[in-house]
Amino acid sequence: MRPTIYLVDDDPDVLVATQRLLVSAGMTVAAFQSARTFLEHYDTATPGCLVLDLAMPEVTGPELQRTLAQRDAPLPIVFLTGRGDIRACAQAMKDGAVDFLAKPADDADLLNAVNHALAKAAVLQRERTTRSRTESALARLTVREHQVLVHVVAGRLNKQIAADLGTGEKTVKYHRGNLMRKLGVRSVAQLVRLVQHAGVGAPGADN
Amino acid sequence: MGWIDTAWPMVGATSLTLGIIYLLIWLRQRSQYGYLWFFVTAASVAVFSLFELRMMRAAAPDDYAVTLRWAHVPVFVLFLSIVGFIRLYFRTGRLWLGYAACGLRAVSLVLNFRTGVNINFEQVTAMTAVPAWGGESVHLPVGVPNPYAIVAQLSNLLLIAFVTEASIALWRRGDASARRRAAVVGGSMFLCLVAASALAILLNRGLVRIPTAVSVAFLGVVVAMAYELGWGVLAAAGLSARLRVSEDRLRESEHRLELAASAGELGLWEWSVAADEIWTTREGRALFGYDAHERVDLKRFLSSIHPDDRAAVEQDVRAALSKGGSDFEQDFRIVLPDGRLRWVSSRGRIDRDESGAATLMRGVTHDVTGRRQAEERFRTLVEAAPSAMLVVDTEGMITLANARAVTMFGYARQELLGRPVEMLIPGRVRSTHEAHRQAYREEWRPRAMGSGRELFAVRKDGTELPVEVGLNPMQTFEGRFVLASVVDVTERKRSELETARQRDEMAHLARVAMLGELSGSLAHELNQPLAAILSNAQAAQRFLAREPPELARVTEILADIVKSDKRAGEVITRLRSLLKKEEPQHRPLDMNELVQEVLALMRSDLLNRQIGVRTQLAPRLPAVSGDRVQLQQVLLNLLINGCDAMSGRVAQGDVIVRSESAAGRGVRISVSDNGGGIPPADLERIFEPFVTTKAQGLGLGLAVCRSIVRSHNGRLWAANNAGGGATLTVELPAADRLLPSI
Repeated sequence: MRPTIYLVDDDPDVLVATQRLLVSAGMTVAAFQSARTFLEHYDTATPGCLVLDLAMPEVTGPELQRTLAQRDAPLPIVFLTGRGDIRACAQAMKDGAVDFLAKPADDADLLNAVNHALAKAAVLQRERTTRSRTESALARLTVREHQVLVHVVAGRLNKQIAADLGTGEKTVKYHRGNLMRKLGVRSVAQLVRLVQHAGVGAPGADN
Repeated sequence: MGWIDTAWPMVGATSLTLGIIYLLIWLRQRSQYGYLWFFVTAASVAVFSLFELRMMRAAAPDDYAVTLRWAHVPVFVLFLSIVGFIRLYFRTGRLWLGYAACGLRAVSLVLNFRTGVNINFEQVTAMTAVPAWGGESVHLPVGVPNPYAIVAQLSNLLLIAFVTEASIALWRRGDASARRRAAVVGGSMFLCLVAASALAILLNRGLVRIPTAVSVAFLGVVVAMAYELGWGVLAAAGLSARLRVSEDRLRESEHRLELAASAGELGLWEWSVAADEIWTTREGRALFGYDAHERVDLKRFLSSIHPDDRAAVEQDVRAALSKGGSDFEQDFRIVLPDGRLRWVSSRGRIDRDESGAATLMRGVTHDVTGRRQAEERFRTLVEAAPSAMLVVDTEGMITLANARAVTMFGYARQELLGRPVEMLIPGRVRSTHEAHRQAYREEWRPRAMGSGRELFAVRKDGTELPVEVGLNPMQTFEGRFVLASVVDVTERKRSELETARQRDEMAHLARVAMLGELSGSLAHELNQPLAAILSNAQAAQRFLAREPPELARVTEILADIVKSDKRAGEVITRLRSLLKKEEPQHRPLDMNELVQEVLALMRSDLLNRQIGVRTQLAPRLPAVSGDRVQLQQVLLNLLINGCDAMSGRVAQGDVIVRSESAAGRGVRISVSDNGGGIPPADLERIFEPFVTTKAQGLGLGLAVCRSIVRSHNGRLWAANNAGGGATLTVELPAADRLLPSI
């Protein structure tokens, strides 16, 4: 799926010009004059990045950045601003912006930043795919398999798990085989990494 | 005793009584010698009547002769008294006739004693008894007549002639009372004297034999005289009664006059020219400072006059006295004994005799010091006034001009007085001024001339000067006048211009400082189109580099580049106009448009500061006459202040800009913030220079704003909002109200 460059700037002249520049570089661009119209149209499934103006009426650039972070959108942000001060820049970077460009920005700088953002978006997109796949695999585990998974990730032996769960070692072994197949891993190390990545399997399950 | 013995004494008594009555009158009025002569006449007749009775009763011829001789004595006195009475009473009669009659009678009196037994008889030989009426008898003489009796008879004739001539003269003189006197007194005297003389001759010659009744005839004379004198007494009594009434009236009117004079502090005076004595009332003496009993003559009068006025007064007095001179009328100063000066006004009228020479001058003098002082004060005030003062009559003629008017207009005072005031008005407005002057006669109240108009006056040399003119109507007893005070405002105009220049300079400085504050925002405003241009240009390069080049897109891009370039140019123009130092130019402005322009300038600053601005602009505002840049500056300043008041506050609202037409007052623009408001004590103070509530800032902004607004004849004020924050409001008059009124 081709990534989309989202543009948000309240100044129509700047918006159109920036859009043209990106189009001339062969990119797919969606331009919006306000944060609100952007949010109305944005789909997190679409890969891409956001070139965002800092100062805008109603919803500002940093506000939009926070909103997207809350929604966990895989949308790296390049700030493009006419009057960025250092404070605003530092805050934006801290909040995960890819780059912070001052207007007028040279095409090379802008395209560079956009490409960076797109690369990051690709990574994010991949991670997001992996995670969603893991999540769906995890969702397919039975309750017993899930219990076994938590114990395996915690590093316990089959015998210990069987004792803990009050069942036979064989049964544990059977569940373990099933869950590793369902999650598509061949080693415990692989399993651990996957679970860590997915952020699941917090040991609170024993309670 | 017979009736003759009763009748003759009665004749005497009657005569004497009448005589005594007039003697008593004479004693009270000694100047009336007519009464005295009458008494003598009456007394003589009374005495003669007694002699006559004794003659009629004389039995012996000697007795008769002696009695008759002495009887001539009262007759002589009678002669004198008649002549005297006629002379005094008739004021006519030939004196020589009277003297001749008296003289001849005196001669006959001498002969009476020297010849014969008396003037009538040489010798009386016998007495004969003659019967009379009522069984009475009287004695009559028989004797030889004295030849000298002719002298006595001649004197009788002369007396008759004298009386007759005097009576005719009196009759001829004319008036009714004189004729009555001539007829009654003169006529009866004539008849009685003729009768007495004739009787005497007839008796003496023995031609008739009747009682000697000469005294009875004389009694007729006495009665006629008494009757006539009675008229005189009656007339005098009537006259004196009338005199008393008129004296009372005179006294009353004198009293009234004095009362009026003293109430009006008028000094009445009267100068007898011949006697050179001046009489004055008590008030008059007090007025001149004379002592109560001091004798005042012309010299004393002149000495009381101020030396500077003395000659003029003396000359006027002399002129009034001269034949054909008119009344005396003069205002002059007198020096009082204590050295004080007093202004008096004196008028006098001359009485003249038949020859036209002045006999009396009388008049009235009153104190006019107060009026003179008021006049003097008025004159001094007007003269010393720092502005030019002109008094103009209803015909537009200058009747008074002060020293400042002379220097201001360059005319000599004589060149101004009596000339039309329009000579001081520039030719181009002269005719309208006349119309204005006519209109002012209807209006007639104090006011400034030509309010709202620039007024000019013209000097003698033709140069003009800007002036302000105050008009004041004056109603005097001489008619209506207008007092115009003219102030030369050249200096003030100059200093006004200087003030305006300084204000503009200050406004410019404040503007530059304010734009410095806004520089970040303005740079951004410029950056936007520049950014658009750059991106467009680089995009175009790429489209052109494509194979084939996408020319359609490039055309589109170039159009946008031109648009953005223009936009950048506009920003710069706007900025330059704000930074430029130019004379303010007043043009009709739409304040809503100005609000929008200012908001555009501040756009990025507002965005950056996260401050929203809401506008509530009334449609169809009346135009305001003003300088665009200066009014933009005011609005910018108010907006920046509003934003400053809002920044850093959590509960943010919007800055609200409202425009409305203020009923009858033009246009109101208000900027409301939602900040902390202004301490009530500072609501006015914030407009003072160097008063600021901000950490940085010179505190000039609002002071400059107010001076700008005032130079536009508007108002700028601050008030706190009920719901928090403050509102600053500018009120500017609508343009049509500023159109010059001609």
